[in-house]
Amino acid sequence: MVVVSAARDYINRMLQDISGMKVLILDSNTVSIVSVVYSQSELLQKEVFLVEMVESITMSRESMSHLKAVYFLRPTSENIQHLRRQLANPRFGEYHLFFSNILKDTQIHDLADSDEQEVVQQVQEFYADFVALDTFHFTLNIPSNHSYMIPAEVDLLNLRRFCDRVVDGISAIFLALKRRPIIRYQKTSDIAKKIAIETAKLMYQQESGLFDFRRTEVSPLLLVIDRRDDPVTPLLNQWTYQAMVHELIGIKDNKVDLRGMDKVPKDQQEVVLSSEQDSFFKSNMFENFGDIGMNIKRLVDEFQQYSESNQKIQTIEDMAKFVDNYPEYRKMHGNVSKHVTLVTEMSKIVEKRKLMLVSQTEQELACNGGQVAAFEAVTDLLNNESISDIDRIRLVMLYALRYEKESPVQLMQLFSKLARSAEYKTGLVQFLLKQAGVDKRTGDLFGNRDLLNIARNMARGLKGVENVYTQHQPLLFQTMESIIKGRLKDVDYPYVGNHFQQGRPQDVIIFIVGGTTYEESRSVALQNASNSGIRFILGGSVVLNSKRFLKDLEEAQRISRSSTAVV
Amino acid sequence: MAAMNRTVKFRKQRDALKSARAPLSSSASGSGIEMVSASLLGSRRSAYAPLSTEDPGPSSMDAFTVGLLPPDWVDYSEEVAANIQYAQYKMAELVKAHYKVLTPSFGEDSEEQHTIATLTHEITDLLRRSEKILQKFSADESSEDYNVRKNVQRSLATNLKNISVDLRRKQSTYMRILQQQIEGHDKVDLEMNLNDNKSRMEDDEFGDLGFNEHQMSELKKSVQFTEERERAIKQVVESFNELAQIMKDLSVLVIDQGTIVDRIDYNIQNVATSVEEGVKQLQKAERTQKKGGMVRCATILVIMCFVMLVLLILKEIL
Repeated sequence: MVVVSAARDYINRMLQDISGMKVLILDSNTVSIVSVVYSQSELLQKEVFLVEMVESITMSRESMSHLKAVYFLRPTSENIQHLRRQLANPRFGEYHLFFSNILKDTQIHDLADSDEQEVVQQVQEFYADFVALDTFHFTLNIPSNHSYMIPAEVDLLNLRRFCDRVVDGISAIFLALKRRPIIRYQKTSDIAKKIAIETAKLMYQQESGLFDFRRTEVSPLLLVIDRRDDPVTPLLNQWTYQAMVHELIGIKDNKVDLRGMDKVPKDQQEVVLSSEQDSFFKSNMFENFGDIGMNIKRLVDEFQQYSESNQKIQTIEDMAKFVDNYPEYRKMHGNVSKHVTLVTEMSKIVEKRKLMLVSQTEQELACNGGQVAAFEAVTDLLNNESISDIDRIRLVMLYALRYEKESPVQLMQLFSKLARSAEYKTGLVQFLLKQAGVDKRTGDLFGNRDLLNIARNMARGLKGVENVYTQHQPLLFQTMESIIKGRLKDVDYPYVGNHFQQGRPQDVIIFIVGGTTYEESRSVALQNASNSGIRFILGGSVVLNSKRFLKDLEEAQRISRSSTAVV
Repeated sequence: MAAMNRTVKFRKQRDALKSARAPLSSSASGSGIEMVSASLLGSRRSAYAPLSTEDPGPSSMDAFTVGLLPPDWVDYSEEVAANIQYAQYKMAELVKAHYKVLTPSFGEDSEEQHTIATLTHEITDLLRRSEKILQKFSADESSEDYNVRKNVQRSLATNLKNISVDLRRKQSTYMRILQQQIEGHDKVDLEMNLNDNKSRMEDDEFGDLGFNEHQMSELKKSVQFTEERERAIKQVVESFNELAQIMKDLSVLVIDQGTIVDRIDYNIQNVATSVEEGVKQLQKAERTQKKGGMVRCATILVIMCFVMLVLLILKEIL
């Protein structure tokens, strides 16, 4: 409940102290922040009878002085402008302003200046500035996520904006947890270093008073790493429930949009996948696809039994029982059909794109050696007409990342094969190598750098694997293990400033600049469940699937190319 | 969960700015009238924030609300809220009454049964009335106010539904126990009679097989008892049916939890799209209206031309 409950508590506190009928006004960021942790019916219980966007609230002039306005906004200059306009001509009886991050003094001044009618009752900073997707997983939903790959000299403004948002999000998490962390970062990444240093500056210099909590225990650890250190994970096809839904269909703020699919029942066009509200999903989100099929079958059987028992209505008593159970019945019905729809859609896609075949090769490339066999497998798949373009480029990318140095000739052969596909250009693979090639990476992504890892890999190869499709472990898993064992190298992951770790941290927040994946979120959740004494929280600028990752790459490539053209 | 209250700082700034502005604006408005109307409205305000327990705010705010009476649904919602509270109070009484009837006692409990009947009736009546009022909420579908109304309606409906579910559950448990008691009673009676008969038969083989007086009175009593219980059950069933109707009507209004309808962002999106739709419709309507007017104008002009031409020709001929 860590991240989720922190955000929920903030919203509870916001709403409970203000009595009477309220209208909640949000901006495009805080809508996601509130929506993932709070529901409409809970809002109604708190007497919030209208939720509006800050842009649209200024459009209407209709007065509603019987309502009290509760604003929850990010402290951006646009929002302040909207607020100023609203305060000059207030529509509501009272104004309660909550901001999700630290306000600048000038912003307070501006607000005070426009509040001539003295309608503002309170101004507060409530640091719920992160989208709490799950207990140990949060995201910042930064739209221009590609910025992290672009060097500072090309597009300084957007990079600046990106960094600020990340620093805001990280500091909000720590304010919500009431801790001040020790900060480490990945040495080879400029952006990780920049973010780590700026966060440290904010926490230890600019706002040191705000972050000065009682320090009784060991400080938590903040580790800032770069997505490009593990470009493999977002390129793989996923076979565990949550990750798979995101990879094949797409999850946005715990919501799945099924409108594009054909033959979806009308009430299932958009569904919610939240472990907080859906117990079936909670227990199955990390299971693999085969098991999901079986569990869903069990769920359907259960439901059938239940509905059968509800159908036998003969006596008044039966009737009474039925009416009593009806809401439950309806809820169960909705839930069952939701999961059935999702799994049906996904198996259709798997069938269509021949993902079983593709994924096997992908996993081989990511986990095992054997360059010759790998080359043959990839060539075969590239020759196969029924493999989609996105799967082709992913295969070539994985091959390129793995055998970047070993076989440039064969790589060129693959490039020429790939050139026939329309959607993606081979230049993208080279761009990926430039961004995340072996020289840029810190971690031992393929486990082939030192003897120990090679030996471990060989041992695993001899033992055999349980499931060919889920044998890949994200690099993050290794990083977490080294943190638990206290073996994270200072050379590779240096500390910021002179704040060093004393003893083992109890809370570790790992922030991946460039986005997390649900595979990593699963890894973190499983690690936390294993009771190692350290609690990990994972955060990122977005939640990636392969589509988003490729889109970010393309965007970054486009920008850096256009800038070199100008220069 | 750290938080920072910036209100004090904000107030300070606001006051500072106000005092800086004061010499400029003091002559601008005749504040006397405003003050009078504000004091008049002061008493009003507390009435139309029905769910609020807070004191009316500073007078400057009242001056702002001059001339703005709350929409009438606020009164409705107040009424329903009061009904809900009353119903809850009645529920507590009902539970007590149930308890009294169900605990075995030697006295007449028809009185208790009567109170149960009236109480149940009252509660159902309250619920039904509240539900009727709720229907009034969605009278017209214009403006942003509609969303507020709809949400108030929803939240009240949820409360009502909870009460009716609660009532139903209580009634059904009550009924079940009651029925068990009757069955138990009958069985005991029957067995007793049978045993009696048997022993008598053994005693007196040629005796009268009919019931003796004692048995008759016993039988009568048990029949009476059964009838009474049956009546009670009938009443409960009646109230049940009424409740079922109310439930059905309410369930349209209540949100299913955990579904997409319960998502905040989905609701905002929906509002936005429906507003857009509305604007589009309006534009379309405007266009057709304009078109219609133009065509009519042209037709009239043409006809006029024709008439004038005829007149002209007539004039020339004559």
